[in-house]
Amino acid sequence: MIRYIIRRIIYLIPLFLGILIIVFVASRIAGDPVRLMTVQNPHITAESRQALSEYYGLDKPLYYQFFLFLAELFQGNLGNSYALRGGTAVTTLIGDYAWLTFELQISALILSLLIAIPIGIMFFYMGIIAIIIFAYFLGWVPAGGAHSILAERYPFGSYALDGLWHLALPAAVLTFATLAPVVLLVRSSMLEVLRQDYILAAKASGLSDRSVVYKHALRNALIPVVTYVGLYFGGMLAGAPVTETVFNWPGVGRLFVEATTKLDFPVIMGITVFITIMTLIANLITDITYGYIDPRIRLE
Amino acid sequence: MKKIKLVKPKPPVRREKNRSKGVSQWNIAWRRFKKNKAALAGALIIGFVLFLAAFDALIAPYPPNATPGFYIGEARVAPSLKYLFGTDYVGHDVFSQVVYGARSALYVGFGSAAIAMSIAVLVGLISGYYGGFVDNILMRTTEIFLVIPFLLILLVFLKVITAVVPSGVGGLSIVMIMIGLFSWAGNARIIRGEVLRVKESEFIEASKALGASKRRIVFRHIFPNVLHTIIVLTTLMIATAILVEAAVSFLGFGDPAAITWGQQLQKANEAVKEAWWEGVFPGLFITLLVLGFSLLGNGLRDALDPRLRE
Repeated sequence: MIRYIIRRIIYLIPLFLGILIIVFVASRIAGDPVRLMTVQNPHITAESRQALSEYYGLDKPLYYQFFLFLAELFQGNLGNSYALRGGTAVTTLIGDYAWLTFELQISALILSLLIAIPIGIMFFYMGIIAIIIFAYFLGWVPAGGAHSILAERYPFGSYALDGLWHLALPAAVLTFATLAPVVLLVRSSMLEVLRQDYILAAKASGLSDRSVVYKHALRNALIPVVTYVGLYFGGMLAGAPVTETVFNWPGVGRLFVEATTKLDFPVIMGITVFITIMTLIANLITDITYGYIDPRIRLE
Repeated sequence: MKKIKLVKPKPPVRREKNRSKGVSQWNIAWRRFKKNKAALAGALIIGFVLFLAAFDALIAPYPPNATPGFYIGEARVAPSLKYLFGTDYVGHDVFSQVVYGARSALYVGFGSAAIAMSIAVLVGLISGYYGGFVDNILMRTTEIFLVIPFLLILLVFLKVITAVVPSGVGGLSIVMIMIGLFSWAGNARIIRGEVLRVKESEFIEASKALGASKRRIVFRHIFPNVLHTIIVLTTLMIATAILVEAAVSFLGFGDPAAITWGQQLQKANEAVKEAWWEGVFPGLFITLLVLGFSLLGNGLRDALDPRLRE
């Protein structure tokens, strides 16, 4: 098992490097970031552009910049923002927003795995409709944000309850949007597993239906579900900009939209790297879970 | 080695009259498709939106971007007989704008799907048939494109390109091309899997034994046998592309010069409280069209896949 895990980790390294290269190319494809940021500024002089380029190390050759970026990355440093909060370190920015993104995504993931009602519409439209109905017409929950601004508005004066109250609507909508595939998947893979011979053998040896379904069938039926959950987590993190814009949720997704609007490349690259690492970790956990559920996979 | 020249046998002459009533694969598929009510509904929705897009100028009561409500104090009024879906904050007739949005949605949907599927088919066929080193390189690249946070990269590319290219130059086409270039990976992997399955068939073995070239085997024998998968994936890809364009426009990274449903949603999102109709109707059309393509795709899968035949 440990050998299997190590193999999976080694396998991720070229993947990660490849993505870093694409991210780097994406941020430099149109040339010097300083020129891009100042293209609509008529007052800037060539000297100040030059000074900015030197300050951010953008005057060095591209490959040098890339290796510098890599070296800094392995020391856990993602550089400083160009435009947000007066040049705060990108890691600090991500640290401040990441937890809120996780709070939303993880609560939705857990809820959608716990309950099962098949509905499948595009979630950001569902979000808008839900805000209109539940926040404006019914007034049950707040329309956006992660916390009330004024302490007087906390339900029963509790900060934690206030957080939950704000979380309710976005988590519910995300849950409904992701439920349908999970339900369909569990059902179809369960039906497939129940047709197999070893289930018949288990039944023939006199085991109760309950024991057959939960002990023997479920374990094998869960493999596609594990795949889905792994993919889902990466996909939802990448979709965070949309989710968080709909619900005005102050997480990394909205930070990313803001940074992209301002062409703040250190923040853009930092968040992309962060989400990529999270996705890769999710994939790794998926692979390890596979190995745990199905011993045959370990030996491949 | 002496090359053996193969003489192509003449096809047997068929007389239509005496031919026993055979049913083609497409006939079987069509029969199965007809029985699927959900898929027919999907086709109907797509037909309806195609109709809107084709005759938008005749259907919409006002010209594109016209603001009939602006000068007469009818900005942001609720739906009525005069304005079927109400008007927005500057007095655009929401119904007209929704009708004009149909063309953009279909353009991006079909265009992106065409680009993504061309790459996916090529990568899938080559990777699946040739195997070995080529397969390894292509699949590792595919994996990178699968793991990469696609929406984030897309937003950055769009922002950077719009900062360089002067505004108004092929905005919607850029969105379309970008979506296409970044969403082929999953499809390529599925097609490769299908190719691997077909490759083991006996008729491929027979064809090899007859001395057919690799290219002939790939394009004449394998391609038609994975075509049903490609058709299904294309349909679902169109749905995804429409959804991605809506999301991109919703975040404000779309083409500001084009009339798209996503952009209408974005503008409406600033005022959901005052004017629900601004967002509800464009969103309803996105949902309907995406649902239409998904239903059609799933219906086609049931109809075309020979393994699902009972």
